[in-house]
Amino acid sequence: MARDAMTPKQRFAAYARGEALDRLPCVPIVGNTAARVLGVKVSEFRGNGKLLAAAQVAAYRRFGYDVMRIFTDLYTQAEAMGARVHYPDDETAYLAEPAIDSVEKIDSLQPADPRKAGNLPHHLEAMARAVDAVGDEVAVNGALTGPFTTASFLIGADRLARLMLRNPEAVHRLCEVALQSALAYAEAILEVGCAPSLTDAMCSSTVISARQFQEFGQPYLRRLVEFLHARDRAVTLHICGKTRPIWSAMCDTGADCLSIDNAADLAEAKASIGGRVRLMGNIPPAEVMLLGTPEQVRADVRRCVRQAHDNPKGLIVATGCSLPVETPFANIDAMLDAVREIGWPVNAAELVGAAELENPCRA
Amino acid sequence: MPQSESELFRALSESVVEMDEDASRSLSEEAVTREIDAYTAIERGLVDGMNRAGDLFESEEYFIPELLLCSDAMYAGLDVLRPHLKVKDAAQRKIKIVIGVVEGDTHDIGKNLVKIMLEASGFAVIDLGRDIAPQRFVDVALSENADVIALSTLMTTTMDAMAEIIVKLQEAKVRERFKVIVGGGPVSPAFAKRINADGYANSAPNAVKLVRELVGAVA
Repeated sequence: MARDAMTPKQRFAAYARGEALDRLPCVPIVGNTAARVLGVKVSEFRGNGKLLAAAQVAAYRRFGYDVMRIFTDLYTQAEAMGARVHYPDDETAYLAEPAIDSVEKIDSLQPADPRKAGNLPHHLEAMARAVDAVGDEVAVNGALTGPFTTASFLIGADRLARLMLRNPEAVHRLCEVALQSALAYAEAILEVGCAPSLTDAMCSSTVISARQFQEFGQPYLRRLVEFLHARDRAVTLHICGKTRPIWSAMCDTGADCLSIDNAADLAEAKASIGGRVRLMGNIPPAEVMLLGTPEQVRADVRRCVRQAHDNPKGLIVATGCSLPVETPFANIDAMLDAVREIGWPVNAAELVGAAELENPCRA
Repeated sequence: MPQSESELFRALSESVVEMDEDASRSLSEEAVTREIDAYTAIERGLVDGMNRAGDLFESEEYFIPELLLCSDAMYAGLDVLRPHLKVKDAAQRKIKIVIGVVEGDTHDIGKNLVKIMLEASGFAVIDLGRDIAPQRFVDVALSENADVIALSTLMTTTMDAMAEIIVKLQEAKVRERFKVIVGGGPVSPAFAKRINADGYANSAPNAVKLVRELVGAVA
C-alpha cells in the first residue's frame, strides 16, 4: 500500500490539535523483532548500542509505525543493579538470578549509574543514534521498567509476593531504591533527546490486588510521571494482563496514555477512563500477530478501531503487548495497512459487522 | 484449642485461608497429640482450606501473594501430619504429574500455584523447576511412569518449546501414554489444540479440574 502522507510527528501534532489526519496512529510494539529486519541475532544487541539503533531504525523504516522504542527486555534496570540475566543466542533475554536473596541485603542495593552499569549505557547510545537518524520525523522512546517490577527482579517474584503481606516496609525500601535508579535513568534518557515509556508488568491485576497496586505500585509510578511532567514529557504507561480494577489508579499516576493489554477490554476502558487518558491497544500479540493470518490481523484492527476510535482522549491502534520475536512481517504490514485502509475520518458505520475474532486471552 | 474433631478441622482449614503458618503448625500438632487420623486432618483441614483459598483466588478476592502464603500455611501443617499418615494412605497409588516451565523461561509463580493446587488435591507432583529442556520432560515422564505432563510458560518466545515436547513424545512413540496439558499467559485453547496438547487451563484451580477430567480421577 502507498506510504503515508504525514510523518508520525506531524500526525500526533495534528491529532493533539484536533485537526484532520491521514490515518489513526498505529504502533505494533516492535522489540527484538527488529533483529529479524536487520538479519542479526537477538543476543548481538547486548552491549551494542550501534546495532540496536540500526535494527530499530530499519524496523521503523520497514513498517512505518508511529512510535519507535529502544527495548530489548524488561531486565535492564535490575541487571544494572546486580540481577543476573541470561542471554540465549537468538531469543529474548530472561532473568537467571535476582540481585539479592534476602531482606537483609536490601540495604546493599544501590541505584544504577546509567552511564556505567550493565547495558544502560548501550541502550542510551542506541537512543541517541536513533534520534539522530529519524528523530525529526518520529518520537523515539526509551523503555523504562517500573519500580515495583524491577523490585520483583531484584529479590525474586515469589519472595516479593510474600514480603508484601509479611514485611511491607521492606517492599517499600526495594521500590524506593528501584525508583531512584529509574529516575536517574529517566534523566539520562531525556538528555539524549528521548522520552521514557513505562512498563510495570508485575502491577497487573492478574498478579496483585488493586489495593496492593495502590500501596506498592502506584505511588512510585506517580513520582516517575511527576518527574517527567516537570520536564514537559507526556508519559505512556503499560501494565500487562488484566488491569480493569486499577484503571482509575493508573490514571491517577498522571500518565497521559495507557497501553491496554489484550487481556482487558478496550471498549470498557474507553467507557471507564477514556475522558482522562489516551488509550493504546489491544491486538493480541501471540494469538493474532504471531499465529494469525493477515486477514485476521485486519479484522482485529477493525475491532479495535470500532471499539475506541471515538475515545475522547484519542486512540493509538497498537498491540496489547510487545510482539514476539518471530512475528511474520506480513502481519505487521497488515496491521498498518488496515489502519491506512480505514483512513480518516473514521467511518464507524463501515466497521460495524466487521468479522470479530474471539479474544483468546479472555477465555 | 478447638474441642471436637470437626472444630479442629475447621480451625485447620481456617488457618490456611488466614495464611497463619503458626496456627496451622500448632493445630496439626494438636491433631497428632489427640491421635486424630492424619489423613482426615489433611483432607478436611488443610486441603479444605487450600481449596477455599483457590476459590477466593478464582473470585479475585485473593491474588498471588495471598495464595502463596496460604500454601505456606498448608505445607507447615503437612510437614507435621505427613509422618503420621498410615502406611496404606501414604502408599496409595496416586495419579502422577510431571510439571515444569519450558526452556527459555524462568517465570515460575504460575507453575508453582498449579503444583500447589494439584498437591492439595491429592495428586503426586514431580516438579522439574523452570527453564527445562524438552527432552528432560520426556525422560522424567517415562522414568517416573507419569500420567500427566504439565507445561507452563509466560512468554510468547517460549511457546514453541511446548510443541517440541509433544513432537518428541510422538517421535519416541509414547505420546499416547501421557496426557499433556499447557498453560500460561500467552497460551490459549486454540494454541493447545494446534500443538496437539490434551488440554489447556487458564488458572491453577482450573488446572486441577482439567486433570481430573483427563484422567477420570476423583483424587
